[in-house]
Formats: sequence, structure tokens, C-alpha cells
Amino acid sequence: MATKEELLQKLSDCVFEMEDEEVVDVVKEYINAGYDAQEGMLLGLVDGMKRASAMYEEGEYFVPELMICSDAMYAGIEELQKYLPNTEGLSAGKVVIGVIEGDTHDIGKNLVRIMLETGGFEVHDLGRDVPVEVFVNYVKENDVDIVAISSLMTTTMPGMEAVVNRLKEEGLRDKVKVMVGGAPVSSAFAEKIGADGYSRNAIEAVELAKNFIGA
Amino acid sequence: MEDIKDFKCTYDHASENSPEVAKKSGLAFPDAYLHADMMATLSKANKENEGNTMCILPFCHTVEAEALGGIITLGNEVAGPRAREYVYTNYEDLVNLPEIDFTKGRIHEVLLACKMLREQSEHVALEVSGPITVLNVLIDAKHIFKGMRKDPELMKEVFWKVGEAILRYVEEAKKFGVDFISYADSAGGVNILGPKMAEQMVEDFTYEFIKKLESFADEHMMIMLCPKTTFALLGTDHAEFRDVPVSGEISYGQGCIETIGRAKIVGQQCVKNVDYILKTGSIKEVVLK
Repeated sequence: MATKEELLQKLSDCVFEMEDEEVVDVVKEYINAGYDAQEGMLLGLVDGMKRASAMYEEGEYFVPELMICSDAMYAGIEELQKYLPNTEGLSAGKVVIGVIEGDTHDIGKNLVRIMLETGGFEVHDLGRDVPVEVFVNYVKENDVDIVAISSLMTTTMPGMEAVVNRLKEEGLRDKVKVMVGGAPVSSAFAEKIGADGYSRNAIEAVELAKNFIGA
Repeated sequence: MEDIKDFKCTYDHASENSPEVAKKSGLAFPDAYLHADMMATLSKANKENEGNTMCILPFCHTVEAEALGGIITLGNEVAGPRAREYVYTNYEDLVNLPEIDFTKGRIHEVLLACKMLREQSEHVALEVSGPITVLNVLIDAKHIFKGMRKDPELMKEVFWKVGEAILRYVEEAKKFGVDFISYADSAGGVNILGPKMAEQMVEDFTYEFIKKLESFADEHMMIMLCPKTTFALLGTDHAEFRDVPVSGEISYGQGCIETIGRAKIVGQQCVKNVDYILKTGSIKEVVLK
């Protein structure tokens, strides 16, 4: 029987090497061997994703690799979840993310989501073309630390300001930190609309989120 | 072989749909995105507002995908047509994409709008999209990338299915009098794919596709490439630049108009950057090797 360390490495490698089918078999082998599911997730699957993220930072992995790695990670997590304890309260922070209404460019947003989750954040993804009120209602109805809004079109950027203003109107502005991103967005724009921060890319987004939480 | 350089999309004085122009036009939305006469009116209003040399159609990058079965939200004067929900969840199913019927639907209205504008002596740039951009309206991009890694031969077949549809679209556009074809596949840029996959895309599709696209260029039609595509061809040693003289320091759009018939393909700047001036007194033709 393979040792725990060997199987953890194998789980990590499956994610890192984008083996989204083999990873499920390795999870089953790991669980059948009686090893801890939480460790399997954090030290195996998430470790692989962290290695992939490091490669992305180094310019060795790109968007396709990161997306397929994350698919492998989620395939493994889906199998592992049956054996995981309730992990509520263990995340670094709760983020709601989406692409603002009118815009369907979501590759960057998906990358940010993947990196935030790898960084230990619990992320609720509203998807793309998300109306202002959907962001606001989610904050109203849920426990959220960070609102992350993406836009790749100058014509839809005003929606980001609308989210900030509506949060103020609803008395929710102080409840959350707002971060914005996307190719036409800038730190000057973020400041102008009253957001708390701007990130140029997915890597910076995680750092910004950690700063917000004080992690 | 050089690396494929990335062209960063800029947003200064970008030619985009202006919500203000749309509101002032008095047109009803989303009707203006559906009917040829209203499309033509809006396109011309955008052109005049931006000081552009040509009318650009359509107002989105969803026309081809919709004609292939995509589900679209048409939008309003602030935000135009965009994908609503994905149609496919497995990249293997993309080989079954239907044929496009150019005689009906929004794609037909776009062609009619082009014809109307040409009859008003306007220059018309028809924006057509490459396969990754088109497919991303139909399926989540991660499935496209997964397919490119796991089954490159199948994805090549899928890209060419879309590519052949685009070529037929250009053929139709020529019959409707369009004088400029603006081709871009921004969802497949090197900044997203990375150098290896971007090179794979050029070898499997882009180079041969642009060769076929070039065959439509003559004294009546010019091909304008997104600089991302231009750099992909240059970086894989499939093309080189050739300077073609123009009348002076004029805008890129004016330069294209002046050199139609003398240059088949251009692609040094984004069609949206209306303020870009050809300071060298020449425009760069993209010559395929």
C-alpha cells in the first residue's frame, strides 16, 4: 500500500499535471487507504494548485493550464467532499465575485476565482453579466467580506460605481471591501468610484484580498 | 523564430458603441441591433461621433455564434448583444456545429445594413471573429482549452468548421459591398493561451485561414487584422511587414482607404483606435510567407 506521503504527492501531481480523470482514482485510493480527507485536500489537491499558480506567476503556465489544473482540483474535491468534515469558519475570508452587467468576458474573473480559492478564500461566483442589484442583494443576504467586480469593457465600467453607490444606499458599504479589476480598469478609476482596491491581475487580487482581511 | 509578441488592447479614443450616441439616435433598443436600417443609422452615428473614417458593424461579437446556435441577450443602449448562456458543455460536441444560413436572422440583417451604408458611399468595416472568440459564446473557454490540450486534432477540425463558416460570411459580405474585413480572435491571444498554445493555434489554423481570407482581397476589399493576429503570424515567421506609402501623416483608417487594392492585408493597429496616425507616411502591409 502506498504511504500517505506518496499518495499526497500523487494527488498534487494529478492537479499540477492536469490529470482530471486520474485524480478521482487517486482520491479513492487515498480514502480507501484510510488517510485523512482534509489533509488530502489541503496537502494534496490544493498543493498541486499552488504549484500551478507558482508556475503561472513565473510565466510557465498560462490561462489554459490554470483552468485545467483547477478542473482537476475540483474533480478531486468533489470526490473528497463526501469524506470532509464541515469546513465552515475555516476559510481565509468570503468573497463574492462577478463580471458586471453587460459584459461577458469572464476568463480573467475565473482566473481570479481560482487563485482566491487556492489562497484559502471561500468564493461565491455570480458569473458574468451580473446586474448591480444581484451583487447588492448577495451582500445583503450573506456574510461577505469582499466584493470583487470585473469589467473588460469601458462601457460597462460605470456599473462598478453603481455597485459601490448602491451598497452605500443600503447601508452595506462598511460591511465589505470592494475590489475591481479588468483590462480598462485602473487604480485611479478604483479610487474615483470609491472602491477599496484595484488589482492588475489574479496574483495581485489574492494579495489585495489578504491585505483586506489582514491575513 | 521570434516569440509571439502581445498587443495590448488600448482604450484611448477607442471606437466603441457610445451609450450617449445610442440614446440621442432616438432608436429603440434592442430593435436597433435587429434591423438593418436601424443598424445602419446607429453605425453611421457612431462613426460621426468618433470621427472615424469607416462605419463599423456589427455592435458585438456574437453574430456568428448566434447564427451557429448561440443564445444571446440583445441588451439595450448601454450594453449591447452578448452571450446569455452556454449551449455546449463538451468540446467533443462542437464537431456537430450547424451550417450558417446567411439568408435570415441577425447575420443577414448585418449584411443588409452593410449594403445600405455602402449605397450611401460609406466605407464599411465588417468585424468578423476567429474561432476561439466565436466558440467562447457557445461553450466555456476552459473546455476549448482542454480540447486543445487533450485532443488537438479534434479541435483543429472544430476550428476549421468555424473558419469555413467565417470564410463564407466574408464571401457574402463581399457580395453585399463590404470593403473592409476586420478579423480578430482576441479570446485566443497569446496573453491568454501562452506562447506554446498560441503557436499551436497559428500552425493548426490561423496561418492557413488568413491565406484563404487573403484571397478575397482586391481593389474592392481589404483585410484588416487585429494586431494580436498580426504579431502571431510575425512571431511564427509566417508573415512580414512591407511598407506601403500613403499620402502623408494620416489616420490608420484613412491609410487603409488609400491603399485598398495596393495592400491586401494590414494589421499594425486596432481598427478601434481612430486617433492612431501613420507618422511614417506609410502603412504596413502584412505579407504572408
